[in-house]
Amino acid sequence: MNDIILKIKDLTISYKTRKGSLVAVKDVNLELKRGETLAIVGESGCGKSSLAKGILRLFPRNIEKVIGEIYIDGKEILSLDQETFRKEVRWSKISMVFQGAINSLNPVLKVVHQVAEPLIIHMGMDKISAYKRAKEILSLVGISENFAERYPFELSGGMKQRVVIAMALITNPQIVILDEPTSALDIITQANIMNLLKILKKELNLSYIFITHDIATTSELADKVAVMYAGEIVEISPSEEFYSTPAHGYTMMLLNSVPTLRTDKKLKSIPGTPPSLINPPKGCKFHPRCQYVMDICKEKEPPLFNKGKEHLAKCYIGENHG
Amino acid sequence: MDKNETLLKIDNLKVWFEIRKSIISPPIYVKAVDGINFELKEGESISLVGESGSGKTTLGKTILRLYEPTSGKIYFDGKDITNIDEKELKWYRRQTGLVQQDPFGALPSHFTIYRILEEPLLINKIGTPQERKEMIFKALEEVKLTPIEDFVSKYPHMLSGGQMQRVVIARALIMRPKLVVADEPVSMLDASVRIEILDLLKELQDKFHMSLIYITHDLATVRMFSKYIFIMYAGNLVERSTTQEILKYPLHPYTKALLSAIPDPDPENRKKLRDVPPGEPPNLVNPPEGCRFHPRCPNVMDICRKEVPPEKEVKENHWVKCWLY
Repeated sequence: MNDIILKIKDLTISYKTRKGSLVAVKDVNLELKRGETLAIVGESGCGKSSLAKGILRLFPRNIEKVIGEIYIDGKEILSLDQETFRKEVRWSKISMVFQGAINSLNPVLKVVHQVAEPLIIHMGMDKISAYKRAKEILSLVGISENFAERYPFELSGGMKQRVVIAMALITNPQIVILDEPTSALDIITQANIMNLLKILKKELNLSYIFITHDIATTSELADKVAVMYAGEIVEISPSEEFYSTPAHGYTMMLLNSVPTLRTDKKLKSIPGTPPSLINPPKGCKFHPRCQYVMDICKEKEPPLFNKGKEHLAKCYIGENHG
Repeated sequence: MDKNETLLKIDNLKVWFEIRKSIISPPIYVKAVDGINFELKEGESISLVGESGSGKTTLGKTILRLYEPTSGKIYFDGKDITNIDEKELKWYRRQTGLVQQDPFGALPSHFTIYRILEEPLLINKIGTPQERKEMIFKALEEVKLTPIEDFVSKYPHMLSGGQMQRVVIARALIMRPKLVVADEPVSMLDASVRIEILDLLKELQDKFHMSLIYITHDLATVRMFSKYIFIMYAGNLVERSTTQEILKYPLHPYTKALLSAIPDPDPENRKKLRDVPPGEPPNLVNPPEGCRFHPRCPNVMDICRKEVPPEKEVKENHWVKCWLY
């Protein structure tokens, strides 16, 4: 069995806009091992959701170019034709919990039907066994039989989030992409959902791609953290190193802007706003906002430097650049 | 002991919303705020913390008299404003300001920033056009939207979320209110600008000696911000004290649960489950008998199911509504 379940090679995604070509994802390289969780963090507009949807080949209408390769279980999926991809990969190998999905549940269908639907439509299962399977999955995520027969408006926010997670798991995928799965929920409910995701991962041996802007919540799931800025992955490191020894200026400043409950530290926000993706700045894209900026950052785009074991960063800090 | 004057006094305030009107059946109420007491001194800030549906926004809006209280009293500057008429309400609006949660929805999209900030001045017939211009420029300078000349002619959609929220703050403060309610002012913004906006709000609060009610669900931002924390659950204040005290010695099981639900960035988190109670806040149409937290409480006793716990001062300035104490 192949240990690396997902591999992304030099992925670039660009959109057509009235102002010109917008590069939402640029030269992204990633690897995800079986049973591992990779968190992708960044500000809004950094391209993290574009990347996630790109892996599922869900492109908006104004897509311009998709370059690169994506391997799932050793098989390249960008070159597959739509129909094969839909039948063999999307949802059966890799599924997604979309941001704000709890508001997209169909109000006039019982939740059990909404969870069972992919089995009936995609897998051609009959209704009785599909419902049976849906109820099993629902009970796995903590929704009792009695609630399975209800309509979305009868459920609380936390329960709806559980339903949405069940929908992503019904087809037995190996990889689940979680796009801000708890951002609309209350704090205690958030913690409950995180607990559920941890348990599911262990029981079903899932691999997660966890997309979030919340640095504190990241630590709840992530084995590995990739930081995205202006469409690029600027740093990728094991979770232990991400918090203790960040190597990119952006990561350092990001960590300093997180309010924490238990430690007293002086917080500092990051000045300025993320750059335009149509006309990004020269050199390192973060240099106009970086407090550690050097002359070279303004001129030459930094390559990915090796900063430790499985730790890469696109940053000149600590490098001898002559 | 404290020479500061009490600005706001809330006395057994209840806000119930009627949800079904019928001639035959009796009306049904959502008890969004159900019996709240507290005082706020001039220049002080409190944070109202609770989950969605706990009634914190209703309480904030009722204090601003955007909602009509069902019973109880609100005193502002020693004056009973619970049931004041239109004319006095206009006076009260000048004394208070609101910073909304969603800057995208709070700013009218067809007004320029200049016009948005001029609106409260026009309504209250303040100043000549020249004086108003000076006030608007000063307000934008205070919220650090510079160069001002560039911003006055812009429309809201041309600004980033953080910049919009600065305009919302400028508008709330342009009348120099004595009391400002900030309802989740940063929850819609990116993490990197949150600190900036909260710092700004804190700075202006100190500068103008305003009283501030900060409504949030995020305990982690409270510690940098206000002196007191009030914890709300299902329409009640279950615990209140200074920020330091609550974070160090939480007493109410709900407060403890809230605190343990918040992760600090630590890679060890992923290896363990968080110790939080299951379930969600109750329906406020039919809240549980006795203590409203009892169905989720890990320390529940018999009495909690039957009787509402009184609010008790357990330590100096540390009030809790729980039978354990």
